[in-house]
Amino acid sequence: MQFWALIVDAFRESRDRKIFWVLVVMTFVIVACMLCIGFEQDRVTFLFGAWEVEGAYYSPLSAIGRSHIIGLAVYLLVPVFLGWIGVILMIVATANMFPNLMERGAVDVLLAKPLGRPRLFLYKYLAGMTFVLFQAALFVGSTFLVLGFRWRVWVPGYLLCIPLLVLLFSYLYCVSVLVAVRTRSAVAATLVTLFAWVLFAAPAIALDTYEQFPGMKQDNRMYRTLRTVARIMPKTRDIPYLAARWTNAGVSMDIFPRTVMEAGLDEEKRAQLERAREKEHDELAKNPAFSIGSSLLFEAAVVVCAMWMFNRRDF
Amino acid sequence: MVGLTEMTNWAVDLIEVRKTYGRRIQALRGVNIQVGRGEIFGLLGPNGAGKTTLVKIMTTVVRPTQAAGTILGRPIGHRGKLGRVGYLPENHRYPPYLTGVQLLDYYGALAKVPQGRRRENARRLLDRVSMTQWADTRIDKYSKGMMQRLGLAQALINDPELLVLDEPTDGLDPVGRRDVRELLVELKRAGTTIFLNSHLLSEVERVCDRVSILVEGLVARQGTLRELTERTVEYRITVSGGAEALRGKLAIAGATVEGSVVTLSTPDLGRVNEVVDLLRAAGVLIEAVEPRRFSLEDILVQAMGRPLGRAALGPAATPPRV
Ligand SMILES: Nc1ncnc2c1ncn2[C@@H]1O[C@H](COP(=O)(O)OP(=O)(O)O)[C@@H](O)[C@H]1O
Ligand SMILES: [Mg+2]
Repeated sequence: MQFWALIVDAFRESRDRKIFWVLVVMTFVIVACMLCIGFEQDRVTFLFGAWEVEGAYYSPLSAIGRSHIIGLAVYLLVPVFLGWIGVILMIVATANMFPNLMERGAVDVLLAKPLGRPRLFLYKYLAGMTFVLFQAALFVGSTFLVLGFRWRVWVPGYLLCIPLLVLLFSYLYCVSVLVAVRTRSAVAATLVTLFAWVLFAAPAIALDTYEQFPGMKQDNRMYRTLRTVARIMPKTRDIPYLAARWTNAGVSMDIFPRTVMEAGLDEEKRAQLERAREKEHDELAKNPAFSIGSSLLFEAAVVVCAMWMFNRRDF
Repeated sequence: MVGLTEMTNWAVDLIEVRKTYGRRIQALRGVNIQVGRGEIFGLLGPNGAGKTTLVKIMTTVVRPTQAAGTILGRPIGHRGKLGRVGYLPENHRYPPYLTGVQLLDYYGALAKVPQGRRRENARRLLDRVSMTQWADTRIDKYSKGMMQRLGLAQALINDPELLVLDEPTDGLDPVGRRDVRELLVELKRAGTTIFLNSHLLSEVERVCDRVSILVEGLVARQGTLRELTERTVEYRITVSGGAEALRGKLAIAGATVEGSVVTLSTPDLGRVNEVVDLLRAAGVLIEAVEPRRFSLEDILVQAMGRPLGRAALGPAATPPRV
C-alpha cells in the first residue's frame, strides 16, 4: 500500500513536469512521421504515395529487408530519441525528485510515517523510475505497433527495449540520487549525472581505440587498468548492443549500420571495424549477464551509499 | 496531580533528551517531559529554544544525540506506534501538484490507513476544517491559512492517539485560530492526546492542561497552568498619594513605588498587610489592594531571563515518575 502510494505520487509528480509532455509529444511526432512512410516490396512510399523511391532494400517480404526495417528502429529511433535525447531529458526531469522529497517541511511528514527511512528511500528510488518506464513503454510500445501494423514487421523482442531503457536510465539515476541526497540540489544532480555518463563510457571508448591498434595493447598497464575500470563501471554502452542482439535474434545482425556507416571506408578500415565489433559482440554474446550484473552491482553500491547518507541525515 | 501520578502509562515520556547539531549547537540539553494520556500539553518557549527539535525527535525526523523514554508506551521511533501519531510540522509544505483530497489519500496510505477509512476520513476532515469546497483544487492555489487547515486534516487522517502540532496557529487569522482551539478541545474530548508547540502564548493559555517552558534547550518551568500562575503572585496597592516619601521604608519591606501604585512581589498576605500598616501609619489613603496573578507571558519572560534547569524546578513542577 505504501509502495503503491509512492508510485502513484511519483507519477503525478512527473506528470506535472513540462518535460514529461515534451517527451510524449516527441513520441507522437515520431509515430506520425513513421506512419507517413510505407515499405512495399519494390519501393518506399512517403506521405501515402505522394512521393516514392524504387528499390527492394526495405522490402518487408524478404528477411534482409525486414532486418533493415528493424535496424531502422533499433539503431536509429530508439537510441537517438530515447537513448540520447530521452535519457538526457529524463535525467533533468527526475533530478529534483529527491531534492523535493527532502525539502524542509515536506520531508517531515513522510519521515513521521510508519515506514522507516531505508524503505522510504528505496520505494522513492524505484518510484522515480516510473517516469522512465512510462516514457519508454509509450515510445517503444507505439513504435512497436507501427512496425507491426504499418510496416508489417512484428518483432516481439523489440519490446525488450523497454526494460533495457529503464536499465540504462537506472545506471545513471543512482548517481543523480546520490548527489541529490548529498547536496539537495537538482542542478548539481543533473550536471554530475551527465558527467558520470561520459565517465562511464570513457574507458570503453578508450578500449575501442586500442582495438584498432592491436599492437599497442600487449603488456600495456594502461590498457589493463582501463579494462578493469570498464568491467567495474556501469556498461551504458552495452545497452544498444543488447537491444540489437535481442531484437534481431535469428536475423542477420548489423546490416543497417554496416551498410550506412561504412560505405565510405576503405577495405582495411572496414575489416578492422568489423573485427572490433565482432569481438565486442562476442564478449557480450558470451555474457550479457555479466554486463548487466556488474552494472547493477555498481548501481547497488551507489544506492546503498546514498541510502546510508539519507538514513543518517537530520532534517 | 493525583490523576497523573496514578497513571502508569504516559502518552509521552521523554527522559534526558539531548541533541547537538554538528559539534557545537546544543539544541537540547537534557529535556524531561511527561504527558498524560488525553491531555493537551503545551511546549512553550522563545524561537530557537529547541521546541521543534524535540518534536522532530519524537517523530524520528531528527536523530537524537541521546534519548530514552517512550511514545504511546513504546520506544521512540517504534514503527507501529508512529502509525498512531499525527504530525503537523512547522512551515510544512506539500506537493503542489496534488489536490487536497489526493494529499489526504496519499498521506493516509503512507500511514497504512485502509482505503475505505481513508476516503471517509478525508471527506469528514476536510469538512471539519471547512475546506470541502477546495477539496479538488490543486494545493499550489491554496493560501497560507488554507494550507494550515489542510495540514491539520492531514495530521488527523489516521485517527491518531497522539497529535503533535508544531506552531499550529501559525499563519492563521483570528477566526482560524479560534477554529483550531475548538478542534483541539473537541479532539481532547474524544480522548486524543495533544502535544502542542507554540510561541503564541494566548493560544496555549486557553487550551492546555499542562505546559513546559523550554529555554535554551532546558525545561525552565513545568506544571499545570494553575500551578504556574498561582505560584507567583504580586500585589498592587493603589494609594491616593504621598507614597513617594516613604520610598526608603517601603524598599526595606520589599515594595516598589511608581506614582500612586505600590507593588509588592510576594504571595504572602501577611507582608502585604505590613506594608498597608506602614502606609496607613504615615497617613496615606488606600484606594485599592489587588492581587495580580502572573500571566503565562510574565512567567515566560521571567524564565527566559534565567533558565533554571532541572535542579531549580519547584516540587510541583515535575510530576513524580512511576
Ligand atoms: N538542522 C539543523 N542544523 C543545525 N542547527 C539546527 C538545526 N535545526 C535547528 N537548529 C538549531 O537548534 C536550535 C533550536 O532550534 P528549534 O528546535 O527550531 O527551536 P524552536 O522550534 O524552539 O524555535 C536553534 O539554535 C537552531 O538554530
Ligand atoms: Mg520551532
